[in-house]
Amino acid sequence: MNASHKRTSSETASEPVLVASGLRKTYRMGRVPVQVLKDASIEVRSGEWVAILGASGSGKSTLLHLLGGLDRPDRDGGMIRFEGRRVSEFGGAALNTYRNRSVGFVFQFYHLLPELSVLENAMLPCLVPNRWISATLPLLAALIGGGVGAVVGSTFGVDILPTADAPTPSKIALLALTCGVLGAAIGVVLFQIGQVLAERTRLRHGPQAATSRSTLEEFGLGHRLRHRPSQLSGGERQRTAIARALASEPGILMADEPTGNLDATTGREILDLLKKRHDDGLTIVMVTHDATVAEYADRVVRLEDGRVVETTA
Amino acid sequence: MYQPLLANRYLGSRIIPLIAVAAVALCVGLVIIVVSVMSGFLDMLLNSGRTLMGDVIIRYADPGIPHYDRLIEEIESRPEALAATPVVESFGLLKLPYGNRTEGVQVWGIDPASFDQVVDFKDSLVWSEAPPEVQTFAAEMNGLEIPTFDESPRLDPGPEGGDPGVILGVEIDSAAKVRRMDGSYEVKAPAFWMPFRDVEITLIPISTSGALEKPDNRRFDVVNEFQSGVYQIDSRRAMIGLETGQRMLGLEEAPIYDNRLLDETGELERIGTYPARVQMILVRAADGVSPEALRDAVDLAYAAFAAKIDDEDAMTIRPPDEAFVGIRTWREQLRDLIGPVEKERELMRILFSIVYLVCAGLVLSIFWSIVHEKTRDIGILRAIGASRPGVLGVFLAYGLVIGLVGAFLGALLGWSVVVNINAIHEAMGEPAPSWTWITAFALATVMFGIAIHASLQGGMLRTLLSIVAALLLAGVGTALLLHRGFLMWDPAVYYFNSIPNEVDWSSGILTMAGAIVFSVLGAAIPAARAADTDPVKALRYE
Ligand SMILES: Nc1ncnc2c1ncn2[C@@H]1O[C@H](COP(=O)(O)OP(=O)(O)O)[C@@H](O)[C@H]1O
Ligand SMILES: [Mg+2]
Repeated sequence: MNASHKRTSSETASEPVLVASGLRKTYRMGRVPVQVLKDASIEVRSGEWVAILGASGSGKSTLLHLLGGLDRPDRDGGMIRFEGRRVSEFGGAALNTYRNRSVGFVFQFYHLLPELSVLENAMLPCLVPNRWISATLPLLAALIGGGVGAVVGSTFGVDILPTADAPTPSKIALLALTCGVLGAAIGVVLFQIGQVLAERTRLRHGPQAATSRSTLEEFGLGHRLRHRPSQLSGGERQRTAIARALASEPGILMADEPTGNLDATTGREILDLLKKRHDDGLTIVMVTHDATVAEYADRVVRLEDGRVVETTA
Repeated sequence: MYQPLLANRYLGSRIIPLIAVAAVALCVGLVIIVVSVMSGFLDMLLNSGRTLMGDVIIRYADPGIPHYDRLIEEIESRPEALAATPVVESFGLLKLPYGNRTEGVQVWGIDPASFDQVVDFKDSLVWSEAPPEVQTFAAEMNGLEIPTFDESPRLDPGPEGGDPGVILGVEIDSAAKVRRMDGSYEVKAPAFWMPFRDVEITLIPISTSGALEKPDNRRFDVVNEFQSGVYQIDSRRAMIGLETGQRMLGLEEAPIYDNRLLDETGELERIGTYPARVQMILVRAADGVSPEALRDAVDLAYAAFAAKIDDEDAMTIRPPDEAFVGIRTWREQLRDLIGPVEKERELMRILFSIVYLVCAGLVLSIFWSIVHEKTRDIGILRAIGASRPGVLGVFLAYGLVIGLVGAFLGALLGWSVVVNINAIHEAMGEPAPSWTWITAFALATVMFGIAIHASLQGGMLRTLLSIVAALLLAGVGTALLLHRGFLMWDPAVYYFNSIPNEVDWSSGILTMAGAIVFSVLGAAIPAARAADTDPVKALRYE
């Protein structure tokens, strides 16, 4: 399944996947602009594990968000390329695809959806892309339901009109319209119920579920598939989050202090897990304030004063 | 596709969607109840008007329409008309057989057979046989003859003579009987039961020149009572025979004499016949003919009738010129009554649109807080590549389900209240049965026990909720205990003796559709706002 990553780091350390140069990001605290990133540039090669080390508040998360397409740099605030394409100029749809397929993002605070099970959370990236059919079918259901409602309303509307109301064309039209609204609502809700029932098996046993299931099993969460995130420990949550980040087999994994909220032992487990994936060829950019965590990386850069400073490899 | 999945989970895992559903249902139910009662009221008014006076009324009060049988023939030959019936009308005094009571009544002289064809009069007759309590009473009084009730009662005395009959509005006599909840009557004082008794009616005829003549007073046998459902009519109309009415009012056929000419015997010479007259002709439309179409047909029929009389007999009394005869549909005839109620209903609709908007605001704010709570989820979804419309779809689905379920529950609520409104009203008019407040106090005691138990166990929330519940139940119990009953729907004020109990589904469906639209918008607007913010901002949101 990880065919695209099955290259060793040494072989492929030549071609850069992700290039960012001259990134600037300014936040406004009230009227005072605070420039967090001043001229940050970074290059990540395919199969590489880069750690960005920096003090708390130095702008590490900001930088990673820019790289992951979750936020945009300032106007004319530099350029980001992913596999040769300019991420910084992506429009809505392209940006969604970039977030969904090219990048897997792991947050310090896990950010799982509390109402979904572990398995559903892990496979969520496979569910979110818009397929034309997913927008068309509810619309179709609304149209059919609305049409039926309107026909029923205009046919039988006269019968339910109170005697006191003369059946003028405008009243019949209003009735047809309201019956149409009701019909459309019923149509869509019926479609949704059908969809929930139909997806039930696909969510548990479809091909995407199988992929996520095996990832979760590999991460030691095989017995937790149907649990809710609130029933998991921090480490288990983070492993679920990593499984989610890997679900769409992204070209690069971005982790924002993935161990920042965990105790040392659990943190090491998470890092070992990443290491294993990295050995299989996964490209990783990781942000941390902890030098011992950074040791897992092939290369460590420092974020100081809004700039990326190279350190010894 | 994740929208139905997520919407489903959001709906299933919290209490707050239930609160939203309840809010929507209450709003919809409330509006349906109020609008249905108002609409039903107007409808009853209109329908009763129609059953009381047919579809079209020809009216010429004084000195009446001569040759009316010819006019009726002419009208009934038209395909638009099903039947027509003559009516004389006058105010009179009714002397009741007890308590020296004399009441002013409106007296209608009718021809029962044709009158029934026009307004289904038979259906409104109250008595078809003597009720058991009357039969028991008659047996005790041994020998008291139990009256029988004819389907089409004779009102005018036959050639053999006897007292004329009268059918009284059922509310005129309020001493002998009590109305039951189902609309039937229970005879409380059989001795005063009207069909056992006679009444006296006094009418004052008006001469052709408009002067009052000597009052005519006669004794009438009460043959039945009628109930139209309109209190104003049931409490002051008495139906007597057409001929009797004509005779008492001086509208019967009469010879015309020339008071300057004497014939051979020295009497005044009879030079013609003054035809009998009536003041009203009620016409019923054939199936599927609107009152307006019938009115136009009756207009033509009247013109043809007047022309024929003119051609045939120059010596007779000519029918009044069409310009002076009122030919109106029941709607036009009742305009004075309908107009204010229509205005009232419009006012209610406006007021309730405002109430409805307030409800919509409530629903919107509930949704706002729901979606607000989901801002982080929206950020997550956006961060893993969900599109804005895709995220919006989750909340559209969410609002739609809440709106639809709420709307249907509301409709159910409104329907069950409206259908049972008379029973509910009746129950409120009585003191609460003792089991209700005993149950309330018992439950309050139980809740209080639970509160003590919970406080011993250290459950703050459970203690608090139990105390609140106990106090509420005790309050409800006290209210029930003190409740002595009150009557809201006074038939004397509202014309009808029962509250309209049919749902106005046209307004109901409008309300339901509105609730759905508001729910969807209520969920979509804050969700769109959240979807528009950058995922990073949404994620920082805690
Ligand atoms: N949305 C924001 N608005 C204003 N200031 C922000 C915002 N996000 C981050 N900052 C500020 O930018 C600086 C860098 O933040 P961040 O990138 O989260 O740092 P790090 O991840 O290195 O701790 C901090 O001083 C923070 O307060
Ligand atoms: Mg950070």
